Amino acid sequence: MAEANLIQEGFLCPICHKDLRSANNLITHFQDIHSEEKDILSSIKDIYGKVKKKILTVDDQDLEHFKNEISLQKEKYYLEYSEPQDPGPTISHTEYFKSIRRDRLDHKTAETNKLIIRLDRLLRVFAADRKQHEQELVAWLDGSTVTRCPSCASSFNITRRQHHCRLCGSIMCTSCSYFLPYEMAQTIVTPVNNGSCKEQQTSKESDSLRICYHCLDMLESRRRVQIEQVLQPIICQLYSHLQKMKSQVQGAVDMYYKIYNSLKSGETTYLLQDLQSLRNSIADKAQMIDTISKKIASVPVDPETPKAAILQNSIRKATSSFIKEELITLPPPPTPQDLEKIKNERLAKVTDDDIPISNISIKKVMVTTGWSPANVTNEATVTEEADPLLEQMNIVRSYIKQARDAQRFEEVGSLQENLNMLKEMYKKQLVKDKNT
Amino acid sequence: MNVISAIKAYIVKMTSESEPGMKILLMDKETTSVISMVYGQSEIQQKEVFLLERIDSPNFANSTGLRYLKCLVFVRPTQQNITALCNELRNPKYGAYYIYFSNIIAKADIKILAEHDEHEVVKEVQELYMDYLAVNPHLFSIGLSTCFLNLNWNPSALQRTVQGIISVLLSLKKCPVIRYQANSNVCKDLGTRIDEIISKESSLFAFSQSNNSLLLILDRRDDPITPLLNQWTYQAMVHELLTINNNRVNLSDINGIPKELSEVVLSVEQDTFYAKNIFMNYGEIGTNIKELMDQFQAKAKSHQKIESIADMKSFVESYPQFKKLSGNVTKHVTVVGELNTMVNKFNLLDMSEVEQELASQNNDHYSHLQSVKKLLNNEKIRDIDATKLVMLYALRYQNHNNNDLTGLIDLLKRRGITARFLKNIVNIIEYAGSHARQSDLFNVENAVKITKRFIKGLSGVDNVYTQHKPLLHETLEDLVKGRLRDHLYPYLGGHGSGRQQDIIVFIVGGATYEESLTVHSINRNNPNFNILLGGTTVHNSASFLQEVDQATKNVPRKHTRTIRNIQFD
Repeated sequence: MAEANLIQEGFLCPICHKDLRSANNLITHFQDIHSEEKDILSSIKDIYGKVKKKILTVDDQDLEHFKNEISLQKEKYYLEYSEPQDPGPTISHTEYFKSIRRDRLDHKTAETNKLIIRLDRLLRVFAADRKQHEQELVAWLDGSTVTRCPSCASSFNITRRQHHCRLCGSIMCTSCSYFLPYEMAQTIVTPVNNGSCKEQQTSKESDSLRICYHCLDMLESRRRVQIEQVLQPIICQLYSHLQKMKSQVQGAVDMYYKIYNSLKSGETTYLLQDLQSLRNSIADKAQMIDTISKKIASVPVDPETPKAAILQNSIRKATSSFIKEELITLPPPPTPQDLEKIKNERLAKVTDDDIPISNISIKKVMVTTGWSPANVTNEATVTEEADPLLEQMNIVRSYIKQARDAQRFEEVGSLQENLNMLKEMYKKQLVKDKNT
Repeated sequence: MNVISAIKAYIVKMTSESEPGMKILLMDKETTSVISMVYGQSEIQQKEVFLLERIDSPNFANSTGLRYLKCLVFVRPTQQNITALCNELRNPKYGAYYIYFSNIIAKADIKILAEHDEHEVVKEVQELYMDYLAVNPHLFSIGLSTCFLNLNWNPSALQRTVQGIISVLLSLKKCPVIRYQANSNVCKDLGTRIDEIISKESSLFAFSQSNNSLLLILDRRDDPITPLLNQWTYQAMVHELLTINNNRVNLSDINGIPKELSEVVLSVEQDTFYAKNIFMNYGEIGTNIKELMDQFQAKAKSHQKIESIADMKSFVESYPQFKKLSGNVTKHVTVVGELNTMVNKFNLLDMSEVEQELASQNNDHYSHLQSVKKLLNNEKIRDIDATKLVMLYALRYQNHNNNDLTGLIDLLKRRGITARFLKNIVNIIEYAGSHARQSDLFNVENAVKITKRFIKGLSGVDNVYTQHKPLLHETLEDLVKGRLRDHLYPYLGGHGSGRQQDIIVFIVGGATYEESLTVHSINRNNPNFNILLGGTTVHNSASFLQEVDQATKNVPRKHTRTIRNIQFD
């Protein structure tokens, strides 16, 4: 058994002892050829169990060496940034919700309006026999069969008498009644009443109306809605101003990156001073945003609403982190030297395809030399007023200048594109003319 | 299939649909976790959400409101939440309400809400589907620390799990076929309930690519080994030793920890170092931390010499990022430092070596027994680790002729280990002994596998501490190759075939971060497949033992009567 003593090295197949050179080859070899040979395997499993153990217990240095030897790139696992994706399905119940709410609210609005009209009428009653007048306006419920107060369920007797709500006519006991002061009632109906009965306010002998809690509730909620419609706290104005500034500056920042990248790649669409002036205006805006957010943080807070303080601080914090992350971290504009270098590199790569302005006069000549009868119908005017393309190019150039002065960089970009297109067309035409 | 992106997309939709203005986000306990798993506070502030409030906090009803705020409501569709919302709408604290439910809501509940909206403050009512915790892009959790009662479903946990999985499926637009582990009733019950809802809500589940996905339901009891082992990849290790709870790690127990580090956030979304190192092993993290430190020090140095105005300007410009980096460096250095302390203090490397041998090496009962005994005599080993070691032994050699569990338990007793730990040994056998498993967990008998693993050993296993591969690895490999046995993992309703490429694996009784790594690596190696892992929770050994304890409470001992030297009172 000389063979058994022979020590073989390498990626040996455990069954046929062939050297496969790499672990991957060995695996594929094994799977392709030996996957069915279970019996042989079970007979040799002990040996391999031991070998495996040996490999596992060699010390670290050997292991490292071993790993390098088989040069297997151990897979590195890490998590990539999760790409945004479309949201999953949603189901809107808003329509259903609103339809149910509408049914209920229509009823409630009608009720409230009825109450308001009645209240208005009640306020105009100044006759001596008020009670009768009141009953004429609002039919009082017949109390003969009512033995208990409907809201607190105490039984009526001599000491606890029946009372009627002046607005809806329902029955209640004293403790369940609420007295609406006339002044209050007046303010409630004022928009309807137009203040015509103001002078009569003082002439009241009793100064309140007995009403039930139910009616009170309706009146109060209506009043609250009215108050809120007018109320617009200072913080809201400041905040909407802040948001407006933010969205403006966001646009400027996007533009900044566009110009920056364009310059960096050696394009001539924008100038370096565009970038600098934009940077300055962003800095100014950042200053303003900072000031507004400070103002928000220092709006005096009602001690009743501690939440407002948290809110204001949180807005301030969010704004300053917005400034820090979006505005301060803008890359500084490249220096003119850098730019020159980038330009030269680009020039070296692409032969110049721009047409210098000074060429215009020469081209005029070329156009005339290229004159031929075939062209007359198309370009009859060319000779008189120079090439319309050239004229257009000049117009566009002046537009670009105007746009640049006004810091409308979006326009500068698109105009520059136009200009390039015109140049392209002009060049093609020249070639065509030459050929003809 | 990326659950983090799915949740984020919903949040973006939710925050952008309401008109611009200052907003408050009103949530319940569970939805707070859902959001905080993927969004930091500063991120949500950029979406105009400046305040957060809990609908289930005791003083919510009495707190004051701010009428000029818009209120985004994101709550689970529970009865308590509906009631609380009704009360809120009757006396609204805020100017307008945009209500989003995290799952399917009954029409009747919407009706009740509508009837309470007397002030017409509600602008929007929608249901969307994010009723689960997105842990990693390919890992989700329902957030149930225990789900068993008497070794069967706790009914409320079953209900919650069904809702959670339904919302996962909907948010990813999947209408899967269902397979389940044949020997497990809990898997079958869960599958059946999910199937019922899918057919009941068929209009919701009418996606075009419907029959190309699979939901595979497994039982933790088929692999009780994985959650017991010490882990050596970053995320798993932090969870095992320090416990990750909703992406947060509590470090307040460490001596002399500064206040701002008493709780640190480890989020794959906000922390690129963490995302890069989540699956790196202990050794590699050490190197990477050092690199991070060097990088930081280089930056710090450049900041030290401020000589010109230009220097100053560049300092101001890069300062925010510098500060962010410094916070990150401190965080990871602290965490890794603490891991390092624990590893040395508790002899975890020695522990792990024996654990790995027990879990994944050849049948060599005698030497295994000796290694265990040797460690049990080691003073540095923690009691809980010693107990875990005996558990591993008990599981592995449950039916071995020369089983010396009694002797090991005596050794533990001599160490003075508490009765609670001893009971755990009995509990785990009752919970997941060989009677509860259908797979050959210690598949040492199968020769083909051995040789294959040997060869894999050459290419994959780089050190003794990470030899163990969870059972899930084999199950998924089989599945991907189309070899998963139908009689072990039948289709629900008996029908179904074909190979699905989008696979959602759900483990009843909790998944682990080691399994998350397995899923990730299989995804990488099989680009045609897309596997997502989920569990009732994400376990470490401590939480797993708690769950086992809970599950076997009051269950009579059936399979452990031979363990005479542990008596229950």
